[in-house]
Amino acid sequence: MSELRFEEVSVRYGLRRAAVTAVDRVSLSVPEGGVTGVVGESGSGKSTLGRAAVGLVPLHGGRILLDGAPIPRRGPRPLQMVFQDPYSSLDPRMSVGASIAEMMPAGMTRRESAREAARLLELVHLDPAQTGARPARFSGGQRQRIAIARALAGRPKVLIADEITSALDVLIQGAILNLLRELQAELGFSMLFISHNLAVVRYVASQIVVMHDGKVIEQGATAAVLEQPQADYTRELLAAIPRPIHYIPDADRV
Amino acid sequence: MRTLAKMARTPLGATALTLLTLVVVTAVVAPWLWGEQADVNDTGDILAGPSAEHWVGTDNLGRDLLLRTLVATRLSVVLAVSATLVAVVTGLILGVAPLLLGRTVGRAVTWFTGIAVAFPGLLLALFFAAIFGSSATAAVFAIGLAGAPSFARLCQNLIAGIEARDFIAAARVGGVGRLRVLFRHVLPNIGEPLIVNATIGAGGSLLAFAGLSFIGLGVQPPEYDWGRLMMDGLRGIYSNPLAALAPGLAVVIAGLAFNLTGESAARSLGISDDAMLVSAIRPRRRRLQNRRAAAKTPAVTSRDAVLEVVDLRVEIPSTAGDVHAVRGVSFSVAQGEIVGIVGESGSGKSMTALAAARLLDDTARVQARALRFLGADLLGDGGAGMRRMLGTSMAMVFQDPMSSFNPTMRMGGQLAEVAAEHAGMRRREAMARAVDRLAAVRITAPERRARQYPYEFSGGMRQRAMIGMGLMLSPRLIIADEPTTALDVTVQAQVLDLLRAIREEDGASILFISHDISVVAELCDRVLVMRSGEIVEELDAADLSSARHPYTRALLAAVPHMGTDLDRPLATLATISDAEPDVGADAREVRSR
Repeated sequence: MSELRFEEVSVRYGLRRAAVTAVDRVSLSVPEGGVTGVVGESGSGKSTLGRAAVGLVPLHGGRILLDGAPIPRRGPRPLQMVFQDPYSSLDPRMSVGASIAEMMPAGMTRRESAREAARLLELVHLDPAQTGARPARFSGGQRQRIAIARALAGRPKVLIADEITSALDVLIQGAILNLLRELQAELGFSMLFISHNLAVVRYVASQIVVMHDGKVIEQGATAAVLEQPQADYTRELLAAIPRPIHYIPDADRV
Repeated sequence: MRTLAKMARTPLGATALTLLTLVVVTAVVAPWLWGEQADVNDTGDILAGPSAEHWVGTDNLGRDLLLRTLVATRLSVVLAVSATLVAVVTGLILGVAPLLLGRTVGRAVTWFTGIAVAFPGLLLALFFAAIFGSSATAAVFAIGLAGAPSFARLCQNLIAGIEARDFIAAARVGGVGRLRVLFRHVLPNIGEPLIVNATIGAGGSLLAFAGLSFIGLGVQPPEYDWGRLMMDGLRGIYSNPLAALAPGLAVVIAGLAFNLTGESAARSLGISDDAMLVSAIRPRRRRLQNRRAAAKTPAVTSRDAVLEVVDLRVEIPSTAGDVHAVRGVSFSVAQGEIVGIVGESGSGKSMTALAAARLLDDTARVQARALRFLGADLLGDGGAGMRRMLGTSMAMVFQDPMSSFNPTMRMGGQLAEVAAEHAGMRRREAMARAVDRLAAVRITAPERRARQYPYEFSGGMRQRAMIGMGLMLSPRLIIADEPTTALDVTVQAQVLDLLRAIREEDGASILFISHDISVVAELCDRVLVMRSGEIVEELDAADLSSARHPYTRALLAAVPHMGTDLDRPLATLATISDAEPDVGADAREVRSR
């Protein structure tokens, strides 16, 4: 739907002399309806980049543009974010329906927003009758689905997904990644997908950006970068991944 | 309401609630029943001692002191609660200021609160009482304002904790305003601890109020509260000690009622699994069970096993009933072997390792038919000899190396401590060994690094230092519990290389626990797959590609890797038929699709 572009974006933490540059003149773009993955180790600035896009951290330099215009900080927000820790990202005192409804555009009646919340829960494959339940009733993977539903409630043009599966078990990670790909294909939002796991990014993103020490080391189409990495650091990352185990299906398994 | 019911079920909570009810009922009822009677002068019977007619005696106007003490309950409690309210409201206003007013003003408020907290409360109360004059209302504000800084600090801390949570960030991303964030997300989440602390604070205010009235700054005649009664009673303390002691006792009872209610509410709210109340009974039971189990141990087992576990069971008592974390697990680790345990969170893999290292606390019930380390029985009472052997021959490496190190001690010192403690090495010798071990875990410039503090190490370096700590005494077995989960792939690869090298060089066995089957496959010789407290499959790492159990297959297929087919959804638990409660609804729900 929309293109998100980072132009020479810098973010600094701390004051004057003690300031640390977390993001150093990063330029990248999330194409319309596409998925751009950002990989890097902890401390590479990849999460800061996502938080800067939604206005959680101020920019030191550069600009972030949505379809060529600055991102509006009033009224309906065109960017939404899903966080890493599903145990921290939902208010434990609020029903999940109310959490989802909070992100909906203003001017909906109570009945409309309740119906919309139920629809969104169904969209992420949860029971729509559970809008009144508190987050404590749900498992980690289900909470992450609710967090996705909440982000979608804001009808975002761009979704920022910040390490959304790294707090989950592998089996649940698979289900969440499937869901995200399905939703993205169905709803067509653009996505900035941040992860330290190259294989996960490869599975989700068509474009890839490799970050290290706040700088972009390499970027391009995912297949091209992974097959013919130009930077030494990318090659190092690729070499560190455990080899895949291809299991051989038994005859008794249909 | 549920909290109250939960409280009433513990002895402490029941006592507290009974006391509080007693105090409140007296406060409501006493002035109606005996209010007038307590003001009746009996000039014929002044300053009398206890008698059948006046159980506690009479005062200088011949009024009955027992009735006066009972009637005074209302005023004393009302004043104490009002003072607490003043404290909480003022504290709350100061506490939310940093959230509402932005960084600069907020910092000033926090700074001011910090200074105010440093003043002793009673001193502040006296200071305010001197300014406001001596009346009950003035005393309420004096005590309330004196208590405000500590509540302000509490609110600031609670709010800072909530503010750091992602749901506040999510609300901000969605454009929810500051005031809304405060009322919708922050206040409901700090309400419980605040109310609990206010209840405890009310006990304190009661005491403070009695103190102020006692020195004549609080309630003025003809009104009276417990402090006033104590002041009057003190004059005749030698002729009728009860006159001062009865209101004093009332202060103690009411104060206890508030304090205990707050304490037990805190316990049933936040720390519901708090072991404090049950731990006194458990250890003895555990030892008995162990002894009984030990009697059944088969006499001879395989010789070259470093660790041998037969039918290990772990139960964790909790308020919702016992949790069977490990249900009959048997395995062994041979000399120089690397064994991996893989499973989801809640599968009992960490519990198994902790039980094997005898590191579970006393609340957990550990049973086994055999639990042997280097041929020695670990099921016994665990005397100094066993602890010594575990300390020198078994090393643990945990997931979060930051919390495993003491942040205020230099790295070298912490490593050296291990050798000094367990092997009786001398200081200099131990330091040299520490530097040597840091070098052994590939930390560059080990002499300089040994003089640094944990925060100066990166995550990967800390994890390697943790392994180095385990290597101080050339252990025979290293138990590594998710040692690479918090690390980046490149650092993870370094740690795996290091563990492999340790096995080659020192011949140590390793028990490696992880939720990531590809990491386990990369490092281990043999793999145990755990689910819901049981081992569902045991196989050589080389045979993983032909794993038979559907759960193992699901674990293998679920991890995306560099060869995953991009056009197909990732495999999930689709082939598993038996739904286990511990696996969570996600797995079931995925299957249904």
